[in-house]
Amino acid sequence: MTETLFDNGPFQYSDIQPLPISSGDKDELCQILYDDEYKEVMGITRALLEKSEFSERALHATSQAIQLVPAFYTMWNYRFQIVRKLYGADPAKLNDELDWLDQFTLNNPKNYQIWSYRQALLKLHPSPQFLRELPILQAMLDEDTKNYHVWSYRRSCVFFFQNFDHELQFASDLITRDVYNNSAWCHRMFVLKSQFKPTPPTELLKTEIHYTKTQIELAPQNISSWNYLQGLYQEFLDNKFDAEVVDFALTFTSGAFDSLEKPSQILSSYALEFLAHVYGQSKDTSDKACRAYRALSEIYDPIRKNFWNFKIRSLTT
Amino acid sequence: MSGQDLKTLKFINAQFLGRKRPTIEAISDEQMDQDSSMVCMTSLSTETTEDREEVLLECLELFESLGLENPTLLKEFHKSYLDYSFNNALPRQMKALDASQPWILYWIACSLRLMNREWLGEDIQRRICKKLFKASLENGPFCGGFGQDPHLVCTYAAINALALCDNVDGCWDQINRQGIYKWLLALKSDNGGFRTGLVVGECDTRTTYCALSVAAMLDILTPELCQGVEQFLLRCQTYEGGFGACPQEDEAHGGYTFCAVAGLAILESVEKCNISMLSEWCSARQTAEEKGLSGRSNKLVDGCYSYWVGAVNTILETQGYSSCIDKPALQEYILKCCQSTERPGLRDKPGKSPDYYHTTYVLMGLSLTEHSFNTTKSASAISTREESDKFQLGAVNPVFGLPIEDLRKFLSHT
Repeated sequence: MTETLFDNGPFQYSDIQPLPISSGDKDELCQILYDDEYKEVMGITRALLEKSEFSERALHATSQAIQLVPAFYTMWNYRFQIVRKLYGADPAKLNDELDWLDQFTLNNPKNYQIWSYRQALLKLHPSPQFLRELPILQAMLDEDTKNYHVWSYRRSCVFFFQNFDHELQFASDLITRDVYNNSAWCHRMFVLKSQFKPTPPTELLKTEIHYTKTQIELAPQNISSWNYLQGLYQEFLDNKFDAEVVDFALTFTSGAFDSLEKPSQILSSYALEFLAHVYGQSKDTSDKACRAYRALSEIYDPIRKNFWNFKIRSLTT
Repeated sequence: MSGQDLKTLKFINAQFLGRKRPTIEAISDEQMDQDSSMVCMTSLSTETTEDREEVLLECLELFESLGLENPTLLKEFHKSYLDYSFNNALPRQMKALDASQPWILYWIACSLRLMNREWLGEDIQRRICKKLFKASLENGPFCGGFGQDPHLVCTYAAINALALCDNVDGCWDQINRQGIYKWLLALKSDNGGFRTGLVVGECDTRTTYCALSVAAMLDILTPELCQGVEQFLLRCQTYEGGFGACPQEDEAHGGYTFCAVAGLAILESVEKCNISMLSEWCSARQTAEEKGLSGRSNKLVDGCYSYWVGAVNTILETQGYSSCIDKPALQEYILKCCQSTERPGLRDKPGKSPDYYHTTYVLMGLSLTEHSFNTTKSASAISTREESDKFQLGAVNPVFGLPIEDLRKFLSHT
């Protein structure tokens, strides 16, 4: 090869004959028109994989391949095997690998494969550090506050290290930034359910309920905070709603129970949904629940009519 | 302009006082300072509300300009997009999908088949099979492409793509069911879920659904394979009612909720989850303004959830529960906002480009809104109530993501 498109780094690959990366069939359906760089990088890395070479130069080759197509899971598999064979239980080397991965992650925020690879590295590491993981997680969520994979990885990390110390504050910071960030609200529930078995201390629950109410006052028409409030009662308080929380919800629905003919504007349809749920818990108040569902169905949230009617039917039969 | 549209415009004005578009100004001579919607929309402005504002305005412009009647689905037009990819090589930037090649085949073939069964011809079916088997380990399990490692979700896509091929040249008999079975057993992890592959890879409701679907399709769903799977899926239901990726209080999400509920349907265990909360969560995915479905609370509408969430709704219907979404409204979002006369193929939302993924799932979502289904506990026995030529699309099985007709043929062969 006279001119190479492959960034060799400090390594030599001249002994490697690149493998073909497609079947070569003339009439292959949906054949991708690979560019020469791609063919060469993938071809060399595949050739190394084929001969099961676990070496520094193979590691370098996988980084080139992964950079071109981050979703190429075969190369992530290969890379993991190389790291395991070469570095085994060497913490310094594994930290280098995590550094490389941090950099790669920042440039490829939407990629799927990164996170399971990262999890596998932590399991391999003889002395993994939770604090080492926090900056990258912070940076990733600063950039994309609802990134599903990052949140899920964060939870698996917290679980793995059994370190819940930073989590409620972390979620609060993101809720302060955007009160509608449902991922951050879910993270609170994760902490409450996972850190405390069978249920969180009463004081903490009180604080959480108070916190949630404050956030609802800031933005009453917010499904996330109302779901969370209901969730707290449902998960930890046996669905026993106190008069205080009912009064609180009523402040956002003034007039909703009066008349369907002359409806008045309310501050939150989710408050009304919450009340309907609360009233639906007891036979004594199921009339009120029906009225709330009817108001939702006809006036305040008619696109969900089918569901409200289902609730009314299940209350009346 | 209809009363509903006017109401929506008023909503927009009330909610987003910092108007950006002249179209909204045009009607502002009505009493816009008075908020006439039934829920007060004065809200704190955050990233979430700003992102939604942009999308709302785009949708609204389309609802306004396209009038009351839904446009018809431009089938011939979308066919041109799909045919082009089957008749030509794919451009180099498609290498991003190099490790997902069975998906490309499944998405295109399934879309063509739904619009018109004849549009997936025998020659293409032959080439689908040939390509898939060349990207496999001894004819199963399947890989993302030639020379790659086997992968669970690619195997799912490959089996579904093969199911669309009418057993051309006996391809169904060539699938290595025993090989796939042993491999699936090896992918099973201690928590009851399945991993994507033997080295590294995620283990969540999505990969677990793929394992169950493949096993059910190939009639290798043994008690040993199913051990602990139901519990794994049930543990992914969250306080919001939907399901997350992993049993660690992950956020409820449309894609993962589909995977969990469809997985439970295959196990005939849907009724073991909290149905009322699940319905509530599904119904909350639809908003009056966009009319389409979102994948999570306070996230944006996206056409693909017409299938992911729509299919959960249909699965519940087949279990005897009533629909919890407004199907005519969803149709309106699909036909007015996911389809454009400028470019063939279907899209996530206005302003986005069409792609294969969205074309398939938007079409399947639309199909689910057209047909009604008989009640049954058996995922593979799901059937439609009536056949009619008034439907624009063939009927889809909401659990397996395949036309009912193709699924029936494939299952009766195995």
